[in-house]
Amino acid sequence: MHQTRSAWAVLGAPVLTLLVLFVIPFAVLVQMSVLKFPPKTTGGYSLEHYQDVLTDHLNLKIVLTTFVIVTIAMAVMLLMALPLAYYMVFKAGRRELFLLLALVIVDELAPVVRVYAWQVILGRNGLINWVLPGPSFDWLLYSPFAVVIALVTSYITYCTIPIYAAMKAIQPVTLEAATDLGAGWFQQFWRILVPLAAPGIFVAALLVYIPMYADFVAADLVGGPSTYLLGQRIRDVILEQGDWGSGSALNLVMLGLSGVFALVAYRMSRMET
Amino acid sequence: MWRTFLLVVGAILFGPLLILLVFSFNDSTVLALPFEGLTLRWYRSAFTDSSLHAALLNSTLIAVVVAPLCLALGTLAAFGLTRFRFRGRGVVAALVAAPLILPWLVIGIAALMAYAKADITLGLPTVIATQAACTFPLVTAIVGAQLFRFERVQEEAAIDLGCNRIQVLRYVVFPHVAPALAAAGIFAFTWSFNNYEISAFTLGFQQTFPVWVYSSVRNPEHTAVVNAVSALISLTQVLLIWGGLKLIKRRTTNEAATAMITGGVR
Repeated sequence: MHQTRSAWAVLGAPVLTLLVLFVIPFAVLVQMSVLKFPPKTTGGYSLEHYQDVLTDHLNLKIVLTTFVIVTIAMAVMLLMALPLAYYMVFKAGRRELFLLLALVIVDELAPVVRVYAWQVILGRNGLINWVLPGPSFDWLLYSPFAVVIALVTSYITYCTIPIYAAMKAIQPVTLEAATDLGAGWFQQFWRILVPLAAPGIFVAALLVYIPMYADFVAADLVGGPSTYLLGQRIRDVILEQGDWGSGSALNLVMLGLSGVFALVAYRMSRMET
Repeated sequence: MWRTFLLVVGAILFGPLLILLVFSFNDSTVLALPFEGLTLRWYRSAFTDSSLHAALLNSTLIAVVVAPLCLALGTLAAFGLTRFRFRGRGVVAALVAAPLILPWLVIGIAALMAYAKADITLGLPTVIATQAACTFPLVTAIVGAQLFRFERVQEEAAIDLGCNRIQVLRYVVFPHVAPALAAAGIFAFTWSFNNYEISAFTLGFQQTFPVWVYSSVRNPEHTAVVNAVSALISLTQVLLIWGGLKLIKRRTTNEAATAMITGGVR
């Protein structure tokens, strides 16, 4: 029990910080969602905000739009991240650390600026329309397409690095043996690489797919009316409409769905191995 | 084939920033091609814009306070979680990991409501407090990964050879974790400097740099100045991070360096 005492001597400050500045605010958020007239406690408690949020057709539509856009972004990111991680682990040789650094640095550069830069590329008088001949494409900017691209560039680092770390643990011999036994590249990819990298893909899903549901920067800066996402909705309900009850209820419903998703992803990543 | 793939990925990731850099010299208020000629006037306006200066000062102040706080709290948590076996360790580990998974939007809104409920006026201190609490787990991840690789035998050997606890920390443990501390410090600083969501919800009426960018890009008069200042800031960040990580790399093996960087996001 001596260990327990010294452990808490070391962990006291960080745990206390999290309790006061993270756990308590979260508890307040939960409380606001069940108060009848938040932030007043005098009105008593009720579940009506949840009822409002869940029966509002607009919310349902927004959740669907968000689901489609975020899932496409995730798929595109995996299509980039899997080959990239594979290249870094098995092919890059001396350039491995350079690529890793580049990937980390791009994430550390002002994220808002990186999203906004797509306006310059995709806009009506932007780079793409200037380079390509013929009539200009109006649909490039302020579209689902632009939001997907912006999301991909915002989260790619957190998608690639866990997969990279998982692939790092694969012995190159495994792939060589598969080649010797006559497996083609697709078979090697699908039957060896993906199952062995599954834990990394699970971590990537946690770090990327869930936070993307709450992202509002990408949709704000390069999205349009057709891409009004859940993150924007929550922000607007709380800041613009000042409706703390519905806003926090919506927030918690989103987190609940994310939790269910995380469990499913966890089960899937276990099944593969 | 790999070359094309890497080129495409590189273009998608770094292309937008390069294009902003190019446009920051364009002599036109409209963000559009073709080029109207070269100018430095956006850089001049950036140097005289007082709202920008206030925002940059705020962001720097916040990051300068948040980064050391995160280093202290994060390192303590990393030590506690890797060096001791005790009841409740799983709960503490989950608690420390939670802010890394929870979306910033949720953290920012929860903080806003809690500050309002406690009647605390929003301002720099509230941003610093929330950012420190939600960024130090990143330091824990990076430093923890390095501590985990460390053989405890070395500490025991030092004690057998007559070192006291302070000497063990100073001469055995510290040199080993120093590169991880430096890397974690760089990450904590840039995370704090770049964070938009928490500032947007808990700063009240002031601005940080990301908030300033956010409000300026909606104003056509301002976009050219945003390009210029973003180019400058991004360039500084690349140089600082690149230089810092290079320095760290010299002190460790390639393998330890990759482990450290990947530890940061695991």
